[in-house]
Amino acid sequence: MSTSPVIRVDGVSRWFGNVVAVSDVSFEIRPGITGILGPNGAGKTTLLRMMTGLAEVSSGTIRMFGEPVRRNPPLYGRIGVMSEHETVYGRMTGRTFVRTMARLRGVPDSGAATERAIELVDLLDAADLRMDTYSRGMRQRMRLAATLVHEPEVLVLDEPLNGADPRQRYHFQKLLRRLAADGRTVLLSSHILEEVEQLADTVLLVINGKLAASGGFRAIRAALDHRPYHVRILSDDVRRLAGELMRLDCVEAVRLEGGDALVAQSTRVRELQVELPRIASSAGLRLLRVEPLDDSLESVFGYLVER
Amino acid sequence: MVTVLRLTLRQLATRSRLLVLAVLALLPMGFAMMIVWDTSATTVADFETILLSGMLSGTIAPLMVLSVAAVAFGNEIEDRTLANLVLTPLPRWKIVVPKVAGVIAAAAPFVLGSALLVSLIGFNRDPTAMLAVTVAAVAVLVLYACLFTWLGLAIRQAMGVGLLYIVLWEGLFSGYVSGIRYLSVRYYGLAVMHGIDPRRFAEDPHVSLGTALLVMGVTSALLVWRSTARLSAMDVP
Repeated sequence: MSTSPVIRVDGVSRWFGNVVAVSDVSFEIRPGITGILGPNGAGKTTLLRMMTGLAEVSSGTIRMFGEPVRRNPPLYGRIGVMSEHETVYGRMTGRTFVRTMARLRGVPDSGAATERAIELVDLLDAADLRMDTYSRGMRQRMRLAATLVHEPEVLVLDEPLNGADPRQRYHFQKLLRRLAADGRTVLLSSHILEEVEQLADTVLLVINGKLAASGGFRAIRAALDHRPYHVRILSDDVRRLAGELMRLDCVEAVRLEGGDALVAQSTRVRELQVELPRIASSAGLRLLRVEPLDDSLESVFGYLVER
Repeated sequence: MVTVLRLTLRQLATRSRLLVLAVLALLPMGFAMMIVWDTSATTVADFETILLSGMLSGTIAPLMVLSVAAVAFGNEIEDRTLANLVLTPLPRWKIVVPKVAGVIAAAAPFVLGSALLVSLIGFNRDPTAMLAVTVAAVAVLVLYACLFTWLGLAIRQAMGVGLLYIVLWEGLFSGYVSGIRYLSVRYYGLAVMHGIDPRRFAEDPHVSLGTALLVMGVTSALLVWRSTARLSAMDVP
């Protein structure tokens, strides 16, 4: 497998009036699966649109296979793009849609290519139904078939698993791994940490339009392991529980919130998960509710950016 | 290009749009019959001024073309399917030209049908007069198609701006300010009619047939070129 970069993003920024959507981002993408991870509104879609030539950069350069991506139609025959928008030509059947996309991209035997692509996404049975009768997951799969019909070398997928059920997710992940194993470059965006973790060899973390971190998932996970977690605990006697918690090595701070709630801070949250029921039981305390306060992806990104 | 044309026709030929086109196409015919039956207003000059210039060329034809052309790209920008066309190896002009062709093909049966029947009613089946009206209608149709397709790409409010253009520029100002006639599609359409059948259309045209066709052809080509440039430069949603 070639290790030379397929896509080079160099000092790219994009602003809309006074709003900076992407700020001075640089990275390289090689064959395999790369995940762009970030909360909603982080700038992922703007970045992907610039990388596929759909939007102009305000500054910086983007090159794919050494060529500029903007205003370069011949290059688009080598890319397959699936946007996050789920709109389709409603009055078309799935088969007609995929065949139309094949013809637009100049696929020589568009009929055979259409059948192959629809088979890949396991939708042959529904291929002759109108797309406005499809479920969300079916629409996504048929759009994926249209994205794959010309066998692109680079696949750019913006939030591709939206609306997919677990079976479809599994099927989709298997398909993407196979494409990556064939030497293709797959770039997918998501705001769901686990989704990217399961699929991507390399992760680009984007927050507030900036590249917060990049590299293998393990390295990013390791960085996350040093992050303090906050857990709100409701108990029938929070003052006594606070005392018990402060004796634990894994708890760094406890804050009483008033009423029957407290917030514990810990960097070793898995240890806390084990110790909390044990100390509650031995002290005769009732735990009414335990809830993580900052388990959202946004807080994870916030932590990484602050570092 | 055939695939883009097919896709365009499929998108444009919705039942509601065809109904609007049919109603608009019937309006001049109704007025033509009313003028012919009204003995006090059956001169060629009245017919030409009221119907061919004012209604067909200046109002109804542009309205018909606008209702189709403004959405040729506009709908795809709105529903975000334009990326399907743009992210192909096709040169941009191979997207714009079939789009304009699709607009012309969708509007032509209504615009030309209406023009033909109006001239049939008004000129008692005179073939030269009918030819003059039909050729003028084709020229007007092509120019309006290029103009409004470009407008649909250039701005989001193409329908509203197009309506204002038809009412104010073509309908009002060009009728009162003679200089504007050199920048009015409606009057170039009339010049084509005069050029082909000067016997019937006796009023002195502001330009010759050759000049009218040349200006309309060059302007149409320029608008297609601007649409191509716009499609290449715009951010596609």
